[in-house]
Amino acid sequence: MLKRIVYGVCGAAIVGLGIFSIYAWHPAIDPVEPTQTDYSPHVIEQGKVLAAAGYCSTCHTPPGGTAYAGNYEMHTDFGTIYSSNITPDVETGIGSWSQAAFARAMRTGVSRDGHHLLPAFPYEHFNKMTDDDINAIYAYIMTSVPAVNQAKKDNGIPFPLNIRWFQAGWKLLFADTQPFEINSQQSAEWNRGAYLAEGIAHCGACHTPRNALGGEKYAQMYQGAAIDGWIAPSLTSTSTSPLPWRAQDFYEYLTTGNSPYHGSAAGPMAPVMHKGLSALPDSDIEAISGYFAEIAGTNNTDEPDSSSTLQAAIAAQDQQPDQRIDQGARLYATACQACHYNSDQLVKGRPLITIGSATHLNDPSNLINVILDGVRSDQGISGVVMPGFRDALNDDDITAIAAYLRQAAGENTWPKLQQKVGEIRNQPRFEH
Amino acid sequence: MAKFILNGKPMTADVESDTPLLWVIRDELDMTGTKFGCGIGTCGACTVHVGGRATRSCITPISSVEGAEITTIEGLSEKGDHPLQISWQKLQVPQCGYCQSGQIMQAAALLKDIPEPSDKDIDAVMGGNLCRCMTYVRIRSAIHEAANAIKESNDEQTA
Amino acid sequence: MSRLPKRGSAGITRRGFLIAMTAVGVSFGFPRHLMAAMDPASPDGKVLPSEGDIYEPSLWYSIDTAGKIKVNIMRSEMGQHVGTAIARILADELEASWDDIEIIHVDSDPRWGYMVTGGSWSISQSWPVYRQAGAAGRTALIEAAAKKWGIAAKDCKASNGKIISTKGELSYGELVTMGLTRQFTEEELKTLPLKPNADLKLVGQQVTSLDIANKTNGKTIFGIDAKVDGMVYANPILPPTRYGSKVVKFDDSAAKAVKGYQQTIVLDDASGSVPGWLMVIASSFNAAQKASKLVKVTWDAGKTANVSEADIIAHGQKLLGDQTKGSILDTGNADTEPAFASAKSTIAEEYITSTVLHAQMEPLNALVFKNQDGIWEVHSGCQWQSLTLPVLATALGEEEANIVIRSYMLGGGFGRRLNGDYTIPAALTSKALGGKPVKMVMMRPQDMLFDSARSASVQQLKMAFDDKKAVTAMEHHATAGWPTQVLAPGFMPKGTNGEPYDPFSIAGADHWYTVGAQKVRAVSNDLAIATFRPGWLRSVGPGWTGWAVESFMDEAAHHAGKDPLQFRLDMLIAEGRNAGSTPVAEGGAARQAAVLKKAAEMIGWGTPQAKDTALGIASTFGQERDMPTWVSCAVQVHVDKSNGIVNVQKLYIAIDAGIIVDPNGAEAQCQGAALWGLSMALYEGTELLNGQYKDSNFDTYTPLRLGQTPDVKIEFIPSKMPPSGLGEPAVTPVAPAIANAIYQAVGVRLRKIPMKPSDVKSALTKA
Repeated sequence: MLKRIVYGVCGAAIVGLGIFSIYAWHPAIDPVEPTQTDYSPHVIEQGKVLAAAGYCSTCHTPPGGTAYAGNYEMHTDFGTIYSSNITPDVETGIGSWSQAAFARAMRTGVSRDGHHLLPAFPYEHFNKMTDDDINAIYAYIMTSVPAVNQAKKDNGIPFPLNIRWFQAGWKLLFADTQPFEINSQQSAEWNRGAYLAEGIAHCGACHTPRNALGGEKYAQMYQGAAIDGWIAPSLTSTSTSPLPWRAQDFYEYLTTGNSPYHGSAAGPMAPVMHKGLSALPDSDIEAISGYFAEIAGTNNTDEPDSSSTLQAAIAAQDQQPDQRIDQGARLYATACQACHYNSDQLVKGRPLITIGSATHLNDPSNLINVILDGVRSDQGISGVVMPGFRDALNDDDITAIAAYLRQAAGENTWPKLQQKVGEIRNQPRFEH
Repeated sequence: MAKFILNGKPMTADVESDTPLLWVIRDELDMTGTKFGCGIGTCGACTVHVGGRATRSCITPISSVEGAEITTIEGLSEKGDHPLQISWQKLQVPQCGYCQSGQIMQAAALLKDIPEPSDKDIDAVMGGNLCRCMTYVRIRSAIHEAANAIKESNDEQTA
Repeated sequence: MSRLPKRGSAGITRRGFLIAMTAVGVSFGFPRHLMAAMDPASPDGKVLPSEGDIYEPSLWYSIDTAGKIKVNIMRSEMGQHVGTAIARILADELEASWDDIEIIHVDSDPRWGYMVTGGSWSISQSWPVYRQAGAAGRTALIEAAAKKWGIAAKDCKASNGKIISTKGELSYGELVTMGLTRQFTEEELKTLPLKPNADLKLVGQQVTSLDIANKTNGKTIFGIDAKVDGMVYANPILPPTRYGSKVVKFDDSAAKAVKGYQQTIVLDDASGSVPGWLMVIASSFNAAQKASKLVKVTWDAGKTANVSEADIIAHGQKLLGDQTKGSILDTGNADTEPAFASAKSTIAEEYITSTVLHAQMEPLNALVFKNQDGIWEVHSGCQWQSLTLPVLATALGEEEANIVIRSYMLGGGFGRRLNGDYTIPAALTSKALGGKPVKMVMMRPQDMLFDSARSASVQQLKMAFDDKKAVTAMEHHATAGWPTQVLAPGFMPKGTNGEPYDPFSIAGADHWYTVGAQKVRAVSNDLAIATFRPGWLRSVGPGWTGWAVESFMDEAAHHAGKDPLQFRLDMLIAEGRNAGSTPVAEGGAARQAAVLKKAAEMIGWGTPQAKDTALGIASTFGQERDMPTWVSCAVQVHVDKSNGIVNVQKLYIAIDAGIIVDPNGAEAQCQGAALWGLSMALYEGTELLNGQYKDSNFDTYTPLRLGQTPDVKIEFIPSKMPPSGLGEPAVTPVAPAIANAIYQAVGVRLRKIPMKPSDVKSALTKA
């Protein structure tokens, strides 16, 4: 009896594996000669905008390197990986990829030669794009991106996770393979925003929490996740920011890199905004803003300036321990307050830290990262900088300042803060 | 090669990318009006404007201001006649003068954001600028004086 | 020193017994290819060229054919606007037009006599010198005009840059053009008639100091701004102890990776200023300071590597306990024993002050090189050229005549730059490189570590009272590290017991109160001197002796059951040695009483105060018995008992410094000095920790900030007395006034500064 069960199970497994293999296996698509004709300038331009909106270059360009040539280093829970060269170079890039091969990769995460791409490449989002849009990106890359001969570095993912065949299983379990569907209960503008956000802009790839094997938890879409040593905060009603995000706040943030009521686009969000979404026309940014405002559940008529929350935060500046008896207060007063203080009205460019998202997240990473490394001129508000205190203040000082701000923000203390500061100081820096 | 705009002029500097902006200004570009005081952003002597906003240049690496517009004390006004510079002279604010470039630059940024600052506003925004001669009484008065002068000239213009 | 050949005829001087000598070559338009802060009002610091020939009636100034007057100032400018004030004295006596005045801060040279800027001496010492100089020029110009007109000199009048008579007007420039040769001997200068003080037109009037404008537009040139072609940058590595550490080995392999790094050298210092130092040399400042952090050094540490603040204090207490130690000051009658033996009651208290850092805003720096004429040029802000030159000579193995200290504006002195030891390492490095220009800039932690801090002090005071609670005797025993002993022992007078004492470490204890027998004993803390180099810090001894005397006076008043103000006034009797003598001290104790009364009036002494709020008062004589500046401080203070925070709400100063030359500058000095007093009372102080000061930057060393500045009022007592000093005096009564107010407000007596909130809180808990 036992033998029959065992044989039965084995048989089923073999059959299952077989079926799975059929599922997992993809044929190679023949290479093609690269051609640069056949594309209208309008399509190429559209592709350029979309490639920007998808900030492809952010993940496909190494720091200080040539655009799209790959080898951008990503530190994941599963090991270090490097992005592919997606310039039209024939030998090391996608120069010999047909339009169909490109589309297959974008939609299903399968390379031209049939191997599975790691889900670091958010193809499930790109699958939501229309054929026209995907083809436009192909046209842009093939005609306008300079070819760069640069071989991809080998990934550092340990066995057996590096077996591409297993990616197929992962996809089976976790990938969202649904195409984009219009939501008839929402406006055309909302749907445009949804199309862009869920598709090319792949916001959920950072903002949606992932399970232990790295798959997006769609049931908790946009509820926040860790990324590259930072936190992509929740964009839904679970957000811990004191002031809600209205559509005009998203719009301001996505066009200027800063919302005075919430914070600046620093760390990984900086290139998303500055090198990415900023290429989209205003109407598209408004559409994305409206989409997220709806998800956040905000009433767009709320006026933050007159809100008691903001007034309390402004008043709280004055209600903290004197700098003579509190180390954090003293350091804040001498090193930070000159730029961060606000009088009775918020001024853009004077970020009121206690109203922003960073001090209200359960994780202090965003605040610590910014204290350590500041905000460059191509991050946050363009042309404006915050210096970093990495070499100026030690962990003790930074912990004191962070604790002071957390308390001034009216939140409970962050546990093990000093330890966290040391960890963040020593983690690889997000370089982009 | 770092590229930026200094007092309205495009500039380049062939320096290591982690060189603090302060030393690029002082040593590479020979503009010594901006001063070195502490090197850790706690004294304000090194204050310049980046994108019009007060910034401690001693801890700002040149790489982080690529392409940005930088204003130093030398570029605050054409003839040294910014209302703060005028009130600073009228009330004879500077003593040794070493911290004063930073004080004036910080005060200029303050008045842009908060045109009629209260004493509390001044305390908060100027608190990072240390003056060892302790000419604070006059710094405060001169800021009020300049704020009033700016307001009056604005009123005249709109009248 | 290279010079251009002298030209022209007018005003050419001869060496020898005549006072007037050629002013430094700069007035001839000496080529200055380097940035040097000579004329703080000119756009690039360079002295403006003179027009035509010049006339020099005195060493101290010249007049050119355009009537422009260049006034030579040998004092250093560090914010006290000394050049303007001195030039006012001269211009007034000379009857010059103020618009024609330019000031020149001169480089070091023997012709200028003893070059030092400190002690609040500048105006007081310059007063007779420049008045005489101005009178000389006025006399010569009148004589020349009278001769030209063929009339008597008494029929000519000097006014506003012209000589005027019934024959017309001749401007000073015109007279110089005609050729003037009149010179004056020392004796002649002393007997020249001076204007009656009542006729002074510029002295005492408002003026905008000449250094102000460039300090608002970034043009002022400080030592740290000095630059010369071909210079290298240097950053030092300091040893674990101030003295006695020896370099065993160093490893600069990590520093070699820094782009621009050149080499590291161990300094060989014959002058003993910087034992155990290394210097890291690079092509940029950034490279030098980066590289210096990467050089690994092993020292044999000096003996004081384990000395901390408590050791200094304990040693001080031990020293004071030994009555055979120290010097006894001449106070008229130091025999206090009988009074204490027969006293009905006595009080005795101990007061302590912590180590204090100068932390001047411009970190220490120097640019040194040997120029093409073989002269060593030292480019750095310096307060005491005459003290520094011999040390440079020893370090360089050169004659003093072959060394010049170029004049720069100082980004803060406060006494740090009196001790010119920071020029030595730059000189030694340049010497090691064959005279190549070396610019040494210290990072703030190095500047603080290398400070000549104000030594911590221990003072024990006691007072004897009779049965009517009248004071019959007083003793004041004080010990600290003595800067003068270390740096300028020749300045130490001898006490009545034949022992030398540092006047800058005891002045203030020899107060003007009539207390009967008065014993003042000054003891040098040798452990302090072995561990660090004690320095003169703004207000020197009076800054901390005043803390003890004026706190103690309040404690004595309370013991005697008297109002603290009245208690003091009753003992300020201008008789005998407390009558004061000319020129500056005339009036004595009566003038101190006057400022006390004024301050009391300003603060509303005796008016009821809010809860936990009280008034406090204190008074000192500023700096020295020979040059007293009478100053009183009255404060209104609130104490927050929940956290010990002392909030000084009002800080009022009444001050009598004789004739005030520059009222605006004087007020500024008193505002700054009073806030220094406040800063040292409540906000700043450091501690020795294992041979070094524990604070290394402004993240933990916390001088007063703008938001902590109270309502400050300064009032000058109008006076016709000759000017005394103003740079420092207002520091001295502030801390005791605050301590006195705290006692009145919440009943706790603090005897150590700085008075931190935790100190107040624990005193409240004990009470």
